[in-house]
Amino acid sequence: MSDFLQLIISGLSTGSIYALAAIGFTLLWQASQTINFAQGEFVMVPAFFILIGSRVLGLPFPIAIGFGLAVAVFTLGFVFKRLVIQPMLPHGHLPIVMATIALAILMRELVKEFYSAEAQTFPALFSEQTFDVFGAVISHQDIGNLAVSAVAIIALQLFLGRTRTGRSMQATAQNPGVAEILGVNVQRMVLYTFMINAALATLASVLISPIYLAKFSNGEPIGLVAFLAAIVGGFNQVRGALVGGLLIGVIDNLSAAYLSSEYRIAGPMILLIVIILLRPQGLLGTSEGRTV
Amino acid sequence: MLQLKNLYGGYGKITILNGVEFEIPKGTITTVIGPNGAGKSTVFKAIFGLLNVHSGQILLEGRDVTGRTPKQMIGEGVTYVPQGRNVVPQLSVYHNLELGGITARDQSAVRARIEKVMDQFPMLREFRDRKAIELSGGQQKQLEVARALLLDPKLILIDEPSIGLSPNLVAEVFRTLQALRDDGVTILMVEQNAKAALAMSDFGIVLELGQTRMHDRADALLADPRVGQLFLGGHMEEA
Repeated sequence: MSDFLQLIISGLSTGSIYALAAIGFTLLWQASQTINFAQGEFVMVPAFFILIGSRVLGLPFPIAIGFGLAVAVFTLGFVFKRLVIQPMLPHGHLPIVMATIALAILMRELVKEFYSAEAQTFPALFSEQTFDVFGAVISHQDIGNLAVSAVAIIALQLFLGRTRTGRSMQATAQNPGVAEILGVNVQRMVLYTFMINAALATLASVLISPIYLAKFSNGEPIGLVAFLAAIVGGFNQVRGALVGGLLIGVIDNLSAAYLSSEYRIAGPMILLIVIILLRPQGLLGTSEGRTV
Repeated sequence: MLQLKNLYGGYGKITILNGVEFEIPKGTITTVIGPNGAGKSTVFKAIFGLLNVHSGQILLEGRDVTGRTPKQMIGEGVTYVPQGRNVVPQLSVYHNLELGGITARDQSAVRARIEKVMDQFPMLREFRDRKAIELSGGQQKQLEVARALLLDPKLILIDEPSIGLSPNLVAEVFRTLQALRDDGVTILMVEQNAKAALAMSDFGIVLELGQTRMHDRADALLADPRVGQLFLGGHMEEA
C-alpha cells in the first residue's frame, strides 16, 4: 500500500511535467491549428540553452535559467511562429506537420552536433532527500515538481481568465473572425500563445532534465507523451491536457512497477486506444464545432 | 454620412463589386436588399476593411477611409455585426461585452458603458455570468448587437440580423435598431427578409451583380412592382 502511494505521488510529479508540455501543445492547437510535432524537442532544447548559459557563459545557475528562458521564448516562441508557422499556415495542416517533424529532427541533430551526443547531468532545483508519509517514501523533488507545475498552471489559468489580454487570447482561439472584427490584434495574441508555450516547455525542461538527464534524444518520448496526454484529456482543453498529463504520469509509473519497465509506454498507449474507442473527444474535451 | 463612390472589390482576383455607389444620411436606417450573390455582404466587408478594394472610394463624413483595417474602422466609430453566430462561446456574457470595447484606451469608461448597455438589454444583465454559448440564438444576436454598441458607434453595419430568429425576436431586434436610430446612430443593414426590413427602414438600396440598381425611400421601394418581381426570383430587366 505504501509502495502504491509512493508510485502515485511520483507518477503525479512526472505527470505534472508532462501536463506542462501537453498544455502548451493544446494552446498552440487552439490559437493557430498548429499540431507541433517538435513539442518534445521544445522541452529537450531549453535544458541545453541553460547549460550553455551556465557552463559556457559561466552564469550562476538561477541566472542561466533566466537566460535559457529568454532564449527559448525568443527562438521557440517568436522565431518559430514567424519563420515556420506563419508562412505555412495558409497552406493547411499537412505542411505544418511536415515542417514541425523536420524541425524536430533539426533540433536533435543540432544539439548532437554542436553540444554533445552524451547525456548531460542537470542540477536539480530540489534536493533528493526523502521523507515518510504513511510509510511511503516521498522525495522533496517529487513534491517540488508538483508544486512548481501547479503554480505555473494556476497562474496560466488566471492569466487566461482574469486579464483582458488573456480573454482576448481566448477570443482569438475560439472565434478568430469575431476577434478580428472587434479589433483584437489577432496576430499578437497568437504570438503570445507561442511565447507561453515556449515558457511552459522551458519549465518542463528544468523540472525533467534532472530526472532523465539532458540528452538530444529525450524529445521523442516527451513529445509522444505530451501528444497522448493532449488527446486523452481532450485536444481543445487546457484542463483536459492537465488531467491527461497526470493520468499518463501515474499509469506510466504503475505499469513500470507492476508489469515491467519494458511495457512502460504500453500503458499510456492502451489508455489512448480505450479513450479513442469510448470517448473520442477526450475525457474533458468537447467535439469541435467551429462556427463559420 | 457614409458614401461609396464607384467601388470595385472582391476576394483575391474575383471581383464581386462592380461599381457600387450610394450615400446614406446620418441617423437613418438603410436596408440593402438583392438576390443571392449580389454582393450585399461583400459591400459590408469592403467598408469594414475585411477585403481588398480594387478601386473606388469609401467616404465617412467626407473623409476617405478606403483601405482601413477593421481596427481603424472601429476607431472611426464604425462597428460590424456579421451574419450568423458571432459570440465568443466559452466567455461569459459580460466578457463578450467587454471585448466590444477592447480597443478603447479608457477601460473604466468601457465598464460604465457595459452597465448602460445592460440597462438597454436587461436580459444581458440577468445572464451576465453565463457563457455566451448557453444563450438562445435570439439572445446571442442581442448580445452581438449590444456588443457593437460598446464604443458608442456612429455607424453600425449589421448583416442579416433576422437569420435563425423567430418572427417576434426579429421584431424585437428591429425595434432595438429603430431605438438606436432615434438616438442618432446610423444603421446600414443587409436583409433577406426584404419586406419586413424595408417596412422598418428609412431608405432601401437594391444591389444586383455588384451594382446599385435602385436607391430610394423604403416605402417607395416597397410599393415598386419591380422590387416585388425581383424577390419572386426574376431579374429586374424582365420586369
